Amino acid sequence: MFRRNQRLRREYLYRKSLEGKERLLYEKKRKIREAFQEGKPIPTELRNEEAALRREIDLEDEHTAVPRTTIDDEYATASEKDPKILITTSRNPSAPLTQFVKELKFVFPNAQRMNRGGQVISEIIETCRAHDFTDVVLVHEHRGVPDGLVISHLPFGPTAYFSLLNVVTRHDIKDKKTVGTMPEAYPHLIFENFSTKIGERTSTILKHLFPVPKPDTRRIVTFANQSDYISFRHHIYEKHGGPKSIELKEIGPRFELYLFKVKLGTVDQNEAQIEWVSRPYMNTSKKRKVLGD
Amino acid sequence: MSNSNPNNGGLEALHRLKSTEPPLFLAPSPDLSQAARLASKYVFSLLQPHCPKSPFDNLLVDEFDAEQIWQRIDIQSQPLVSNLRRELNKFEKNPELVSKGFDRFKDEKKTQEREIEEQYDEMDGYYDDDGDKMDGLDDEEEMDGLDEGEDDDDDEEEEEEEEEEKGRIAGIEDRFLKVKELEEFLEDGEARGYGLQKKKGNRKVDKKKKSEGSDEEDEEEGEDDEDDAEDEDEDEDEELGDLGFSDDDDEGLDKLGNARLMLWTRLVRGDKAKIVVDCCYFGIIMIEEKGFKSKSKPIKESEDSDFGNDEGSGSMHEEILSTHEREHMRHQSDIEQMEKVNLEPKTWTMQGEVTAAKRPKNSALEVDLDFEHNIRPAPVITEEVTATLEEIIQKRILEGRFDDVQKPATLPSKAPREYKEMDENKSKKGLAEVYEEEYVQKTDPASAPLTFSDEQKEASMLFKTLCLKLDALSHFHFAPKPVIEDMSIQANVPALALEEIAPVAISDAAILAPEEIFAGKGDIKEEAELTQEERKRRRANKKRKFKAETAKRIANKAQTTIWAKLRIIVKSTAYMSSINKKNPLTTEAAASLLPPDNMPAKTPITAAVPQLTVPGNLVLP
Repeated sequence: MFRRNQRLRREYLYRKSLEGKERLLYEKKRKIREAFQEGKPIPTELRNEEAALRREIDLEDEHTAVPRTTIDDEYATASEKDPKILITTSRNPSAPLTQFVKELKFVFPNAQRMNRGGQVISEIIETCRAHDFTDVVLVHEHRGVPDGLVISHLPFGPTAYFSLLNVVTRHDIKDKKTVGTMPEAYPHLIFENFSTKIGERTSTILKHLFPVPKPDTRRIVTFANQSDYISFRHHIYEKHGGPKSIELKEIGPRFELYLFKVKLGTVDQNEAQIEWVSRPYMNTSKKRKVLGD
Repeated sequence: MSNSNPNNGGLEALHRLKSTEPPLFLAPSPDLSQAARLASKYVFSLLQPHCPKSPFDNLLVDEFDAEQIWQRIDIQSQPLVSNLRRELNKFEKNPELVSKGFDRFKDEKKTQEREIEEQYDEMDGYYDDDGDKMDGLDDEEEMDGLDEGEDDDDDEEEEEEEEEEKGRIAGIEDRFLKVKELEEFLEDGEARGYGLQKKKGNRKVDKKKKSEGSDEEDEEEGEDDEDDAEDEDEDEDEELGDLGFSDDDDEGLDKLGNARLMLWTRLVRGDKAKIVVDCCYFGIIMIEEKGFKSKSKPIKESEDSDFGNDEGSGSMHEEILSTHEREHMRHQSDIEQMEKVNLEPKTWTMQGEVTAAKRPKNSALEVDLDFEHNIRPAPVITEEVTATLEEIIQKRILEGRFDDVQKPATLPSKAPREYKEMDENKSKKGLAEVYEEEYVQKTDPASAPLTFSDEQKEASMLFKTLCLKLDALSHFHFAPKPVIEDMSIQANVPALALEEIAPVAISDAAILAPEEIFAGKGDIKEEAELTQEERKRRRANKKRKFKAETAKRIANKAQTTIWAKLRIIVKSTAYMSSINKKNPLTTEAAASLLPPDNMPAKTPITAAVPQLTVPGNLVLP
């Protein structure tokens, strides 16, 4: 198990190192292609390799023409298997936090909740890798109000750190009858306004927490981005009457997510490379919109 | 009772207190205490006649505690202050009374009270030097003890008075800060203008000192007042400054001649602290104004003493300063002030990075800290926001456009496994036979019997025979194919036997036992070998067989003849019926009635004979 992990990690790193060379090649081919299309002479630095590259260009198809990025490579095989999630909290959770975590367990299909006790993070990650979990979700709090969410994809996948704001849990709504029970069908997903590269990355991270749904489910989970604050909503819909009438009923907790860091390792790897981190004390940070438009 | 002796004693006590060094006050000494008590008694007695409801005739200080003495003073001063207030209101309404009052007292009391004032000033000066007597007071602002020995008592008393004055000031402000009256006064006092320049400058300095230094509410209020007053009547300041009241605080009041004016101006200006005045009671004035002594005491003292000497001369002895010089002086004082502030250590809010250890406790809570937040604030979730979100969701549902995880197009990673169907029947060949075949294949593959299925074998045999026949028919010179000797495996040989060393070309006869070659049932023995009885037996068997055979043949014959006859009958009936159209009977139907041709001979005659209706008019041939 340990050796397997090491081997996989080495392979991943090797592929990442090849990425640079591949990118160079891709650039050269692109230049040659452009030169041909526009009828311009080939750039002089490519004169020697031109023939070989041209042959390769001819043999390309749409898969090989695009250089492979190792970013998102962690999710290359993720869609083949259903995700398996473990949800825990920080140490000594309060009662409202445990309730919230219980709700989250029902939101993500195929999720399990575990008491944190006194375990160390590295232990948790090791056991999860051994038991073939795909994701680990940690929830943090401040005086009963959940305020942090860490989603870590397991075989050395990326980790996304979110702050939670404006949290409204199902337990807050005291009346049990209005809230009702939560269905456990695999939901449809809606991602709204994730247009930049980091937005795409975030949406893949969030997307692969859910399995492939049946086409006719009535459960919808929405992640809507508005100026870097992602709203999470959870609805059930019904189609009454005519074709254009959809009645939405909100179930499940509701909160805003604010992404502040994406790391290229798991939670326990402190020295992993940081893919992106938010810079709130930069002068222009008010003008920047990172996740969407 | 004559107060002279006690008064003198009191005065002496006061003098003594004045002359003692300030540090001596810190250490408890019975001497000083005694002096202080005497002095306070004296002062009390001075004030006592003016207090209508005074419960005590004189202050008993001998065996009492500091606290108790103070309580008494307090009791006296409470009604006293209200009394003064009343008088003040009276004077407010009738300004003429003030002048009368002043004139009356001018000569009588001035010496005495001047003395007192001086002493008080000096003592207050001491108190200034001693610094804070009470907690919570800033350094620049002292509540000075009226009573030298009972510091705290007097301080508290003066605080009280101060507070009352504050309240009064607000009232006064409303009534007195009227622009019209101020203007009138300005016009009146123009004549005195130049004499007062210097004083005004000092006062402003003092004021500024006060305003810069302290955080006390009074002073702030006073600042406001003063600012207002200053804004409105700068000229007035000039005039007023002369009167020896250069300091905002009690200022001399030493000038009896000017006292009235002073009071009046103070009233008009709404100056805090000074105005509590009963024109007759300078002592009281002093008491009440004591609270606002500033550090400029030494200067004041000198000036006061000056003024004390020049009673009635007013402020006229001041130098005449030009505007420029006045400005200059003001700037100088400002500069001094700023330099002083710069030399001091800065407050913690101005010190750059400050940890909790370097600033006073809970001070960060009191300061209004301001940070620039560069992050966009969190969105407030209103109804509209929720409505817009739900709209988006509904639109997506109607379009059916979801961002689900897509199942990847499954490329076959490896060829589909060939599933061999296991034949569950027991194999017909034994394991030994399987090994035999393998051996044969290895050694002589050409001669190995081909493994065919049974059907295949049968088919191939049939085909061979057919081919042989066709060849024989088609070829003129037909030569049958030579028979290839193939190694055939004789199964019915025990293994042990085979292992015998025997020549290869050995006939079957040698290998197989005779019974295996010929398992005969019939006559094995030849006639030559037979005995007589055996011959007879053979013959008898033969005869028996022959007889059985002949009997059977005859029976068969008989049967066939009956069948032949029946056949004829049927045929004729069929013919007849064909003629007779009523009941046609086709030949096939008639034939079907007949038994089939290849019927076995041994069928009993009685069975299966169709019932025929033979027409009567048939003539059998």
